[in-house]
Amino acid sequence: MSDVTASLTATLSGSLAPARHPVVAFHRRLFREKPLGAIGGILFAVFLFCGLFADFLAPFGLNETDMLRRLQSPSWSHWFGTDHLGRDVLSRILFGAQLSVIVGFLAAGLATIISIVLGVVTGYFGGAIDMTIQRFVDAWMTFPDLVLLIVVISIVGPGVPQIVIILGCLYGIAGSRIIRGSVIGIRENMYVHAAQSTGASTPHILIFHILPNVMPVVIVLFTTRVGAVILAEAGLSFLGLGVPPPAPTWGSMLSGTGRTYMYLGPWLALAPGLCLTVVVYAINIYGDALRDLLDPRMRGR
Amino acid sequence: MLDMRGRACFSKGLASVKWSAMQAFIIRRILAVIPTLIFTSVIVFASIRMIPGDVIDLMLAQNDISTGNDRALIEASLGLDKPIYVQYFVWAGNLLQGDLGRSLWQNTPVTEQLAATLPITFELGFLALIVALSVAIPIGIYSAMRQDTAGDYVARSFSLLMLAVPSFWLGTLVMVFPSVWWRWSPPLQYTPFLEDPFGNLAHMMVPAILLGLSLSAVTMRMTRTMMLEVLRQDYIRTARAKGLAEHVVVLRHALRNCLIPVVTLIGLQAPLLIGGAVILEQIFVVPGMGLLLLEAVFQRDYPVVTGVFLVVGVAILAINLLVDLTYGFLDPKVRH
Amino acid sequence: MRVLLLLSVLAGMKVWAETPQYGGDLNVGTVNVTLSPLSWDPADWTWKSNHDTGAAREQLFAGDLDKSIRKGGAYPFIADAYLPTESIRGELAESWSWEGDLTLVINLRRNALFTDRPGVMKARLLEAEDVVFSYNLIDQSPKRIPTYFDHIKNVYARDQHTVVFEFSQYNAEWMYRFGYGYYSGISPRELGKVDRKDWRNVSGTGPFILEKYVQANAHIYTRNDNYWDQETIDGKQYDIPFVDKLIYRIIKDEATYLTALRTGQLDILEAMRWIAVDHLKETTPELKWNRWLGTSGTFLSLRVDQKPFDDVRVRRALNLAVNQKEIVELFYGGHAELMAYPQHPGFGDYFEPLADMPEAVQALFTYNPKKARQLLDEAGVPEGFTFNVQVCSCSPSNMDLIPLLESYLKKVGIQIIIQPMEYASFLSAMTTKTHGPGYLLNSGHVNPITTLRKSFVTGQTWNPSQYSSDYFDEQVRLLHLMRDENERIEVLRALTREILAEAPYIWLPVAYAHTAWWPWVKNYGGELRVGAVRPGPIYGRIWVDEKLKADLGFD
Repeated sequence: MSDVTASLTATLSGSLAPARHPVVAFHRRLFREKPLGAIGGILFAVFLFCGLFADFLAPFGLNETDMLRRLQSPSWSHWFGTDHLGRDVLSRILFGAQLSVIVGFLAAGLATIISIVLGVVTGYFGGAIDMTIQRFVDAWMTFPDLVLLIVVISIVGPGVPQIVIILGCLYGIAGSRIIRGSVIGIRENMYVHAAQSTGASTPHILIFHILPNVMPVVIVLFTTRVGAVILAEAGLSFLGLGVPPPAPTWGSMLSGTGRTYMYLGPWLALAPGLCLTVVVYAINIYGDALRDLLDPRMRGR
Repeated sequence: MLDMRGRACFSKGLASVKWSAMQAFIIRRILAVIPTLIFTSVIVFASIRMIPGDVIDLMLAQNDISTGNDRALIEASLGLDKPIYVQYFVWAGNLLQGDLGRSLWQNTPVTEQLAATLPITFELGFLALIVALSVAIPIGIYSAMRQDTAGDYVARSFSLLMLAVPSFWLGTLVMVFPSVWWRWSPPLQYTPFLEDPFGNLAHMMVPAILLGLSLSAVTMRMTRTMMLEVLRQDYIRTARAKGLAEHVVVLRHALRNCLIPVVTLIGLQAPLLIGGAVILEQIFVVPGMGLLLLEAVFQRDYPVVTGVFLVVGVAILAINLLVDLTYGFLDPKVRH
Repeated sequence: MRVLLLLSVLAGMKVWAETPQYGGDLNVGTVNVTLSPLSWDPADWTWKSNHDTGAAREQLFAGDLDKSIRKGGAYPFIADAYLPTESIRGELAESWSWEGDLTLVINLRRNALFTDRPGVMKARLLEAEDVVFSYNLIDQSPKRIPTYFDHIKNVYARDQHTVVFEFSQYNAEWMYRFGYGYYSGISPRELGKVDRKDWRNVSGTGPFILEKYVQANAHIYTRNDNYWDQETIDGKQYDIPFVDKLIYRIIKDEATYLTALRTGQLDILEAMRWIAVDHLKETTPELKWNRWLGTSGTFLSLRVDQKPFDDVRVRRALNLAVNQKEIVELFYGGHAELMAYPQHPGFGDYFEPLADMPEAVQALFTYNPKKARQLLDEAGVPEGFTFNVQVCSCSPSNMDLIPLLESYLKKVGIQIIIQPMEYASFLSAMTTKTHGPGYLLNSGHVNPITTLRKSFVTGQTWNPSQYSSDYFDEQVRLLHLMRDENERIEVLRALTREILAEAPYIWLPVAYAHTAWWPWVKNYGGELRVGAVRPGPIYGRIWVDEKLKADLGFD
């Protein structure tokens, strides 16, 4: 049995009513054993909710300027105040959440796919393919993230699709190492040997044996990547290479108007700063808890 | 790979070392690095020239009329008129003689610019490392020994918090608020260490601390994990059963065995030390390699960018090689 | 406690006249505090050359600081590349005269000394051959501006201290082009034999010597003990410079350089945005201030060679759609002028105030979205029409402004797509003419004629709208040939009115900037330039009151 099904069975056997959805049951276990992680999960869910429904939740538009209303401190009509162009900060935060969800999930998703493909191929097949691809990965990982990002974004110009693709590739290639390590371990598993000796085809083995066992690693990687992408975009916007205005990414709100107008309006920095910190923190805590529950062997990665 | 290194933590005593096996190992590792370097240099060389807006445009735009300037002449004087693969071989050829070319704007040898900035970045990284280790290891050990207690949670939360706050924001806060409240800020002026050690350290300390704190998160987690694994081992239980004091158990037995993977991790963090410094270098006015690179990219100074990438790449590969070698020295199982 | 101390010090200051002291360091965050020097070589024709080397390298002419407002004169010395004729004095030129219409004879100072420069030269006096060398160096450079010295036929040394310029035709900008302008530094002949790009070889007759350059961090100048000029303060003459060290700090981050000023690590910060000013005045009341109108125009250029921007109705409509008054009052907090481009109020009579302009021009600076939409409909521009606007991420102010412009234009049914680019890409898009249709640019005023020439004459690099009119080109050409200043003023004003009405740009307000300095910086009143981007002589006359500095709590 794969480890995932093992842990799920353990979860299921702990509950009284057998016909419960495994994900729900898993999260009940999460609440019981890892309360901090559970809080992280809740905050993550709130973030997701805000991001998905920003259009409905936001009281104002994302670039609805009204100079007469500018730089107002938080009040009942504007919970987070207004910025230097009179835009409602709460609305911009919500749309920022939407952008973060989009960019974060897309980039993390792309990264995960790349990691899986590279990791599984090199881990399972080994040999010459492994050697060449590892050289390439080595070369890639030699360079500091930000340095690579600066050069690449200068080439292609800033924009959501570019940032998604670049961050996806960056984290994908780096993450492939971890998946590769996992796959190497799984490869030696006796169930895989059994399948191979009964003549199962390679794709069959990959999909039904290797992949399910890599899932825990994948899930944790994905979760932490979302946080990493959000932070990376913040760093890029500080250097002027982030998502272009008037896009309200939390990173650009913090590094741009937040820092410029911090004397006139501290709420301009406080709001995106807190949101950024809390969300990334929550994602990481949640990812930690996931890892602890799904695959204790992964601790320390 | 990390799994194997973790297990090495439990090996009792060193295996006997054969020098010829060690030599073979070193040579193999170095040979493995060379194709990576070549591959990387080609990519870097080509990609920096793909950035829109080339250096000639920028040079010509420095004054208020530039129609009719002789582009060809300027290109020729900078050696940029030859096809790109010729330029690459010229550069590679010079490289093998120790010449990394000259800045397109100021004609300073790239080696000179790197010699000026590399030590500064290294110093920043080194100080950050010290901070990271002094924060991470004690907290990691404490966390492991008090696993799942409130103390553990607080410690882990703190380290994750350091990861979650963007460095530019923390840097800005640390710099601006003391200046507003107390008219004090960390010195924002660089003085070379040999000229004025205290001034130099006073200037670099704050960015080093910030960089170190963000590094400490990962290190702390690693230390904690390794410590947990070790504390569960038989020989530790034996030591405890013998009645040895807890701190003796920790210091004499556990710690020694756990530092290896932690040191390994440090090696892997080398890119972060160099890259993570770019933002802090800008905020705290540290004339390091990060800022050099940023400027060179914005000015399209191709030789400088290629030179910096190469040096960064070599430095990081060298660090990893060193770490691997130390590791291979200590655990023969890895050397195959 | 501090306030009492300050009051007593100030009171003391009023009682007795101040005697300048020698010594100390001067740390300056110049107007270009975020920019590193690009080149030290005069032959590279970089606009920033005078800023970087102008404390060491001198020119034939410079602004006369004795005529500054601070000393009771009429000139603020703020304009980045324009000096009214009456404010100019001979720097290395002791006197000059015309022999006939086309021959200019310049008599050089006999006591100007080139400093010792290891590897380049031993100290010696300035000679006419040096001037000839400096001129030929830039005239024969491959990076030269092609038509720049067309008016000069020949330059030669008549004797050791006399230089003769033979003109082929008169040019009204002659004093600017090789005199106090961007490319007018006088270097020693020995520079021809060494690597000019190396900062260690920067040599000149100026008050300071370039001792060290730390890349992207600071230029450090030390005092030239044998500097030829003197400064008169309260009737007494003093050798200058007063300070031992002059340091230009390069600080890229706004929050950082404001902090450096606040903590006394910068003695002078020459340009900051209005946003931080009030707070700075509150927390650091000792600072002295000067407010000055920016010397570059801000505008959103529209490519008139592309539809629908070739229709003047569309361009005028876009001007009507933007609420420039609101931008002045609310975006810039009142620290801006509605119209200060292409002519700058600092240009004296060349500048015509908006109130005196014809109706067609004044209308462009009003806010009338209804009329805008009407004009757009007339011109056949549909609702939801979209176009790209590029903006440089190097200008935080423009990056802050562009979403506001997007919002204004949206209200009249026009959608812009904002494309930030970093400096080199942004500039190169313009020089290769691949930019637009919209391009948000800051363009230096330079001087009354150049401001029109560079932006509106056919084919000029800094003409982003691609505006082209034979009539306009011809008028500008004629302007250069006019000797009579009054005639020039009239023609120039007419041209300015016309181009404003043509609206190849969305005209935007020009913001004020603020200069702040600590009270221990003496013999200084916020002057910025006495030549094209040239502050060197100003710093050469500043002295630092070390005692006051210590009294205020800074060592």
